[in-house]
Formats: sequence, C-alpha cells, structure tokens
Amino acid sequence: MNDTPARSAREWSGVGIGLRAPHYRDFLTASPAVDWVEVHSENFLGDGGFDLHVLEDVRARYPVALHGVGLSLAAGPGLDDQGRFERHLSRIAALARRIEPALVSEHLSFGALDARHFNDLLPIPYTREALGHVVSRVARAQEALGRPLVVENVSSYLAFRASEMSELEFLAALAATTGCGVLLDVNNLYVNAFNHGFDAKSELERFPHLPVREIHLAGHAAADDTLIDDHGARVAQDVWSLYEDALRLHGPVPTLVEWDTNIPALDVLVGEADGARCRMHARG
Amino acid sequence: MARDAACTPVDDLASLQRALAAALVMQPPEAACVDPFAGDPGRARRRLRLYRGNVQANARKALRNAYPVCAAIVGDAYFDALADVYAASTPSTSGDLNEYGDRLAAFLSGFPPAREVPYLPDVAQLEWSVHRAHYAADVPAFDIATLAAISADAYASLRVALHPACTLMDSKWPVARIWNAHRDESGAPEDVDPDAGGERAIVYRPHFRVEVCALDAADYAFLDAAAFGGTMAEAFAAALRTDPAFTLDAKLPDWVGRRIVVGLA
Repeated sequence: MNDTPARSAREWSGVGIGLRAPHYRDFLTASPAVDWVEVHSENFLGDGGFDLHVLEDVRARYPVALHGVGLSLAAGPGLDDQGRFERHLSRIAALARRIEPALVSEHLSFGALDARHFNDLLPIPYTREALGHVVSRVARAQEALGRPLVVENVSSYLAFRASEMSELEFLAALAATTGCGVLLDVNNLYVNAFNHGFDAKSELERFPHLPVREIHLAGHAAADDTLIDDHGARVAQDVWSLYEDALRLHGPVPTLVEWDTNIPALDVLVGEADGARCRMHARG
Repeated sequence: MARDAACTPVDDLASLQRALAAALVMQPPEAACVDPFAGDPGRARRRLRLYRGNVQANARKALRNAYPVCAAIVGDAYFDALADVYAASTPSTSGDLNEYGDRLAAFLSGFPPAREVPYLPDVAQLEWSVHRAHYAADVPAFDIATLAAISADAYASLRVALHPACTLMDSKWPVARIWNAHRDESGAPEDVDPDAGGERAIVYRPHFRVEVCALDAADYAFLDAAAFGGTMAEAFAAALRTDPAFTLDAKLPDWVGRRIVVGLA
C-alpha cells in the first residue's frame, strides 16, 4: 500500500470533499468520483481502530489532507498549557507520518485557555504584537511536523477593536515570516465580510500574492444580522462568485467542499464538488 | 455603554483572549463584558451567545457520542442538562474531543439527581471503556498453534497479553445485559431487570466493533490476573480459587478467537 501511485502528494489537485463518518461506508465499498479527501485530524488521533482503518483504506486510493481543529494555534503567551500544545502537535505529527498527507492545516484561532479547552475556533485580535506570538507558534508547529503548516482564515462573529490589520493581511505577514501556506476559506471570507462589514472581493484582490495552497468551500446559514458558517447547506451563489475570483487570482488551487451539519447523501456532496471542478476548469 | 476599565486593561493578545474566554463563561450571560469587541454592544452580546451555543453544543455532542446508552436511559433532554452540569465542573482539557468525558462515572456517583437511576454510574464506567476501546491499537492475531512447541514448565511462567481494547469490570448491576439491550436495535431495554444481580463484564474488540459480555467468576479471575501482569500459573491459580473445576482447554482458543488474549510470552 505504501508504494501505490496515489500516495504521491505531487498528484494532489482538483476538488476534494470532507470525509465524515456518515460516508465511510460509501468510501469502503466504492471509490466515489472525487479527486481527494480531507479529514479532521482530531478524529484520527487514536492508536488504532475503525476510523484509522477507514482513513488508511481511503489513503491507498486518494490523496488525503489533514485538517486540524484542536491545536489552539494562535493562543497567546501563557494562555495555553505548553505541555498540551506539544502533546497535541506530536499526535498530529504521528498521524502525518502514518498517513503521508498532501498537506497539514490548522486554523488562525485559539480554543485553549489554562486547563480548559473550548473546542471551538475563537477569533484573535490582528495586531503586530499577536503576529509575533503566532509566528513563534507556527514555527514550532512546522518544526514538529517537519513540513510547512497551512493556516486557514476562520469565520468569526466577533472582531476585536484592537485589530490593526485585516485577517488576510495578518495571514500574508504570517506566511511571509514563517513560510507557512494559506488555506483560503472562501465561505469564511464571505461570512466575515458580511458580519464585520467589508467587501470580500476587494479584500481578496488586495492580496494577489497570498500563498494559497488550498481553498475551502461550504454552505452557511443566516440568523438575524449574522451569517453562521455551519457547513450545513449547498455553497451559496455569492460564494461561488467569490470562488471564481479566487481562481482568477490564484489559479486552480486544490479545492475542498465541506459539509458538517445535516450531512446529506454522498451524491449531493459529489455534485457540489463537480460544481467547483467545472469552475476550476473554466478558469484554467 | 461605559468602557469597563477592569475588563480589558491592555490590548495584548493574551489579555484579549482571556477577556473573550471570560465573556464566554460569564453567568449570567448578560453580565459578560463586550468592551473589547467592535461594533454595537447589543450585537456583540448576541454574537457572543452564538459562541456560547457552539461551545455547549460541541461538549454535549462529544459526551453523547461517548455515552449513547446513558443518554438512552435518561433521555436526550435530561442527558443534555447533565452534560451542561458536567461541563461546568469538568470542562474539556484536550483539543481531542474523544478524550472528553472520562470523569462522568465519578461525577454521576456524586450527583444526587442521578440517584434515581442507581446503576447509571456503572453503565457510564462501562461506556467509557467501550469508547476508549474504539481507539485502542490494532494487534495482529495470535497463532495459538505456537503453544504446541512450549514445554509444560515454560508454559506456567508465560505472561498472558490481553488486547489493549480489553477492560474488565466487576459491577453489582447487570451492566453487560443493560448495554447489549440498548446496543442491539432488536433488543428490549425495558425487559432487563436492573435488580437481577451483578455481572462481571469484559469489553473487547474482536475486529473493529467493540463488544461487551458477562464472564463467570473463574474466567473473570483468570483474565483479571492476566490483566495485572500475572503469569499463566498465577492466573490459573486465581481461577481455581473461584472454581476448583476450572479448565483452560476450551477457553483459551475462544479468547484468542475473540481477540481477548493476543499473546503469551
């Protein structure tokens, strides 16, 4: 299994979907028509068992991206327990050695504070002081992983008054300093533009040289004056438009369609991935 | 709204993150300080509630995932309320939510409202073992034929290795019957009499599906001694103290077949 051509990360391209437990059976019994899959790393941190069996089985046929949700990457100094950060990193690194993923990503957010972990992707202030701390956390993560980390813009409902720059500006500076890549979540950018009152397209166009290694697409929901990034619907029309802008700026970057709430039959998700692939080819 | 000087004295990363975390857990929620956040304070409060809802939903979902039988016994609404009280005293400490909930059995033992279901702590303890068994390491099958080459003298000093997914539990409640009645969709949980007497249960994972079954006293004594690192002779002696007629002849191939015993060395 280790030598099959599918294991080469260089072949990683096209459109993938987020592999979730309701679709394990589909992937064990057939090879659905997607180019690659992404999983949440935290669902595979065990020593063995069924989840890892599924992932290894799928890995033998598809490139896999590991997407972290629990590292609390952007926790400030003294906030996160250093032992927890190191333990989590070493577990992710062990999974990466086992799976040989196309890339390893995490969010530009924090979740852990002292002994507690909120297990959520909480926003940070985009200040120069914060940048210095996040640079050192990313550098440590890349050292532990032995490869560049890819960092994603998060959806947020709250923004800090103290911010001195935008999230993409922060990510651009983070990437320039650490050599990390950027996972551009187009839906998150759209949701944030609405929630915080900026123009998503012009924000995207301000950073044509952002080192975008992967793009995320998903659906969102509206609640009063807030858009919620619930990954529970088809990709919205405006988000498809923004995706086309991203393709024009950054080329045919490997793209993922995520669905995490009210997960539909696999066909629906594959259909969404086909929609992304059409747009990618139309721009390519 | 007046700026609360004590809320965010400085705008450094750690202070602002502490302010957000404090706002997330503040009771009552209306007392949360939203001063660090841009825009209308009323809107910031509503949006803070979205985060509070996410944190609560994630913790409830993780706990229900680990304890499906406990949730079925008390009902989803009660279990969610229980999850909230548990989270307040024993929040998640790991970025891996599969590690969350390890102290639920102890929590339930000291939680007076749960005394209406006196067997709930033991079912919770069993379910945590089942939950962890899902993620235990995979172990190659043990070829029992290799035993034929071992002399009787050497045999007695071998140590019995149990699969890392195995856990033994001696309960005063029929926990294996309760668990299996809920697990099997054709089962009838209401037909299990919780007062029918205790069970010695074993959690094991023959392949990828975790199983629970009751053991007789002698089998339990043997496997329990093995789990604590005892030799074949010590485990056998423990079983004989419980049942003088104990014999391993049929047992060992069965345990090897079910991946309970995965090695003798």
